[in-house]
Amino acid sequence: MNKFTFKVFWQNLFTILLTIICLGGTSHQVFASDIRIADSKGDNGYPNPFRHYPRGPGYLHMSWVFETLTWKDANGIVPALATAWEYDAKSLTHTFKIRQGVKWHDGKPVTTDDVAFSVNYFLKNPYKFVSLTNITEAKAIDQNTVSIKLDKPYAAFISRVAGVLPIIPKHIWQDITNPKTYDDPKSFIGCGPYLFVNFDKAKGNYLYEAFEGYYRGKVKAQRLIYIKVDDPLMALYTHTADFALIKPEMVKPLRKKGFTVLNNGNGWNKKLMINHRKAPFNNKIFRKALAYAIDQKDIINKAHRGFGTPASYGLLSIDHKYYNPNTPTYAPNPDMTKKLLESLGYIKNQKGFYGKNGAVLTIELLASNISVTGESRPDRDGEVIKHQLERVGIQVSLINQERTSTDSKIKKWEFDLAISGHGGLLGDAVILNRMISPKTGSTNSVKFSDNGKLLKLLKKQSAEMDPKKRKTLVYKIQEIYADELPAISLYYPASYIAYNPKKGVQWYFTPGGLGSGIPYALNKLSLIQ
Amino acid sequence: MDNTIANFGNLLKIQLKQQKQLDLIIAYGLAALTMTYLSYSLPNLLPGDFVTTMYSNSFVTITAEQEAELRNFYSTDAGFGDYIIRLLKLDWGFSYSSLTPVSSLFFSALPWTLLLMGSANFISIFIGFVTGVEAAWQRDSKTEKTMVSTMTIMEGIPEICTGVILLAIFSLHYQWFPAAGAETAYANHTLIEQFLDVAHHLALPLLSLIFAYLPGNFLMARNSMVMVLKQSYITTARAKGLSALRIRYAHAARNALLPVVTRFCLRLSFMVTGALVVERIHSYPGLGTLLFNAIQARDLPVIQAVVLVSSLMVLAIILSLELLYGIIDPRVTHAH
Amino acid sequence: MHINLRTNFISDPWFLIGASFTTLFCLIALIGPILSPHDPWEMSFDPISPPTIEHILGTNDCGQDIFSELLYSIHNTIFFGLSSGFTTLIFGVAIGLTSGWYGGKIDLFLMRLADILLATPSIMILILAASFFHPSPITLALLLALLMWPTISKVVRANTLILRESLHIKAAKQMGASNWYIIKRHLLPEMYPIYLIGFTSKIRSAVFMEASLAFLGLFDPTRKSLGIMISYSLKYYYLGIWWNWLMPPIICLSVLITATTFLAISLEKVMDPRLKESLGDNLA
Repeated sequence: MNKFTFKVFWQNLFTILLTIICLGGTSHQVFASDIRIADSKGDNGYPNPFRHYPRGPGYLHMSWVFETLTWKDANGIVPALATAWEYDAKSLTHTFKIRQGVKWHDGKPVTTDDVAFSVNYFLKNPYKFVSLTNITEAKAIDQNTVSIKLDKPYAAFISRVAGVLPIIPKHIWQDITNPKTYDDPKSFIGCGPYLFVNFDKAKGNYLYEAFEGYYRGKVKAQRLIYIKVDDPLMALYTHTADFALIKPEMVKPLRKKGFTVLNNGNGWNKKLMINHRKAPFNNKIFRKALAYAIDQKDIINKAHRGFGTPASYGLLSIDHKYYNPNTPTYAPNPDMTKKLLESLGYIKNQKGFYGKNGAVLTIELLASNISVTGESRPDRDGEVIKHQLERVGIQVSLINQERTSTDSKIKKWEFDLAISGHGGLLGDAVILNRMISPKTGSTNSVKFSDNGKLLKLLKKQSAEMDPKKRKTLVYKIQEIYADELPAISLYYPASYIAYNPKKGVQWYFTPGGLGSGIPYALNKLSLIQ
Repeated sequence: MDNTIANFGNLLKIQLKQQKQLDLIIAYGLAALTMTYLSYSLPNLLPGDFVTTMYSNSFVTITAEQEAELRNFYSTDAGFGDYIIRLLKLDWGFSYSSLTPVSSLFFSALPWTLLLMGSANFISIFIGFVTGVEAAWQRDSKTEKTMVSTMTIMEGIPEICTGVILLAIFSLHYQWFPAAGAETAYANHTLIEQFLDVAHHLALPLLSLIFAYLPGNFLMARNSMVMVLKQSYITTARAKGLSALRIRYAHAARNALLPVVTRFCLRLSFMVTGALVVERIHSYPGLGTLLFNAIQARDLPVIQAVVLVSSLMVLAIILSLELLYGIIDPRVTHAH
Repeated sequence: MHINLRTNFISDPWFLIGASFTTLFCLIALIGPILSPHDPWEMSFDPISPPTIEHILGTNDCGQDIFSELLYSIHNTIFFGLSSGFTTLIFGVAIGLTSGWYGGKIDLFLMRLADILLATPSIMILILAASFFHPSPITLALLLALLMWPTISKVVRANTLILRESLHIKAAKQMGASNWYIIKRHLLPEMYPIYLIGFTSKIRSAVFMEASLAFLGLFDPTRKSLGIMISYSLKYYYLGIWWNWLMPPIICLSVLITATTFLAISLEKVMDPRLKESLGDNLA
């Protein structure tokens, strides 16, 4: 009897398992003209200027739907809605010739009125991705021409405004006073290559469909689909996705399987924030002592298995056209640390840790999980830095916390050292202003005001229209920054994407990054036939 | 005379019972109110806020003014009283991050949680119970020993491993199952195809959850069955010469059911966050992911709604369990 | 009786397996850190290298010796699991018994408290705790205990309700036995199987919770524990680390849980001789 019941039970179990496996065998139909993009977060907001998340991926979502005046391809800036542009230094005015015959997704023509309206609308309702502080107004001069007037010269105008600011249709937005809460399908009408069809927030899926009337012509994929995927390797292997951001270790196995792998460039850095408003960190000598104790190469080798590039101490990426090769560096040097700390009156105790007046110096190091795509993945950076500092005799208490908790501590200046990271290092050099100036509200900005000369130079470079002169200024800024060390740039993590070349799309890395410098290979121009 | 006394006694008993049930319901009402307050206040305690999370590590650099403006825009908080009033009006507010109604987010995630967790719990409780009862009945036999050892070994493997190992084998190596998601995104399927597609995607996460839940259910059922088998009425039943199957299920297992049902309901109470790891590994949608992302983004209205609704659901489940005890095991009602 | 008990233990394979593995693990937990050939935090070796004579299990992603890491992890996991499991058990049994035995308002209050704890998502509480104070492993173990007792106390309460109505308890009550006496002499011992299984399952939950939290990036990743080792190794599953990095902690964890469960099962049998007398022969 007992045996019989058992038999029945196992038979049933077996049948269930078999059914599941059989279900596994049913193939599903996938459109040949679909491109599936894997995204680990699955949520980047809705793709319009007011509702996408203020991060790189959010902007790229919007870039499928909306167009800008200029754009970038593999060789640099190319015309988009504007066919030609010029700058008049005397009247501080940029003039743009607008392309004719471009249509909005609803079939209406894109006019110069729309362009002027967009700029003026964003002046009233700021688009957080683009700073319009130097712009006074935009005017449609005739059917072909729009002029944008500034009150101060702005060197980064083309790369940071014209190439980033989306143009929105006047007939839809003119009556909208609160664009953030405007929740209507019409708010996704742009003139980009794709129509926004659906965002399923629970599943983390987006659907875009090709816009037939796109002015650059037909696109290679009828539908663009974003799917949420935790493991890019598996998604690519199983053809669940055709494009994914991958981890450096995955490069080899994926290349073997026939995927094309691209490097995203050194546009994102991990940096060690220093609370320079508090003793002893307010002393440049102490900060230098720290810099000499930290071994960038060692962090890359230990925490990232060698996948990364040591960062410039001058903040700007080593691949940036304005990178100053003579920026001061701090090759690991325990003797220097020792000398500097001793010059500040620190003495080693019996245990080998530095202290002053009998009290051991203990530094709190905040570490959180931050990576290029903004997800939480634990890494070992904190552990390695703690190691390095303790090796030279600086005691560290390492605190690993969830990211927002760490960020809010950094914001309130309640920390000693903190590991943070940000991108934009390949884009225009105004990133220096944003990451140094005390006026910005961003967590990863060092908000450094101790050096008046540095602040003056920053102001000057952002207004300098002559590239050569600007380069000299930016060179100088990097030198001063690396000397002051309000934060220590650590490394650029190696960042790769892999895609399935059989889909017929050749993705490429855009030099200087997309939009305002987003180091990600999803350029819409690679989809044009 | 005797009759009236008896009637009176009965009346008293009924009244007493009603009083007890009333007490129970009042207690649950208070617990629900506490939970409502906690769901309102706990998320507010989280360090940092939405603006910090959203803008501080982003590509955007905002000025202090813009930040203040944003903070102003996103602070819809007007005290607990207002929160309650809004709840009564069934207004759950808007998600900060997507600016869509929280209710729509919640209800789009709920079915997947119900599907995954519901079926995982049902299947594992059913298999666990039957095998547990059989194992206890055949105590000390070879089958029992094999089963107990297999189950205990299974119990020692965390679900993060099962999840990844299953994926590595069946998805990466054999490619039998998809690696992510709850269905093929935006495939033009017929209803039947879609059903198969959903089942196809469900298989791996479901299997990893069953792996995680089954051993506990089995051991629980076995142990309470062992306890029940000690009771005198089983011996009586045996003495009466009832068939083994009848004793096992009609007498013994029925009484061993109580702890198992309790466990089942308690398992359901982990419904929201219980599958979080599996949801994450298999990129499966659900309330766990919704809550986890909302916590990370400090999207307070979403956190509040998920915590509130899920906790009220849990309270409701436990209350019905309490009332159900009486049906499954009459002795408990007397005891109460 | 004593002789009986001993022969029972020795002849019971469950007990033998359970006890020997538990002893082994306790030994490792105690002397493991001394035995370990390297400092498990030392990062100076080649990362992700296969086993060699110097590193019998190879090295992990940041060049730490996996074998030393494993020894420390066993140590930490056992202490973390035990402290969390014990605390949970004590809370759970105390509250469940009180609630079931005394009933009434006490029961209502305690059980609603349990319900509220059950209903609050634990992730949120853990993030809150982690951000306000820096939880040391012990605080975290206690915190987990505070979150986990309700399940045990519910089960204990349900069984107390059943036992309360059984004849021998009623008889004891009628004979004027005090509450404490009945709880101590009857209720507590009669629910052994539940504690034993509850205890092992709570150790398991605590250890798994640690692993899951580490996997989600919510737990201090510098700690050494089996769960955290697993969660780190899983990130490199495609690099051929299965046998030297992923498997050892899984096997240790599994064997650890299995051993405690076996021990629990055998103890439950021996502690309750009635079981053997009344049923053992019939069913054999």
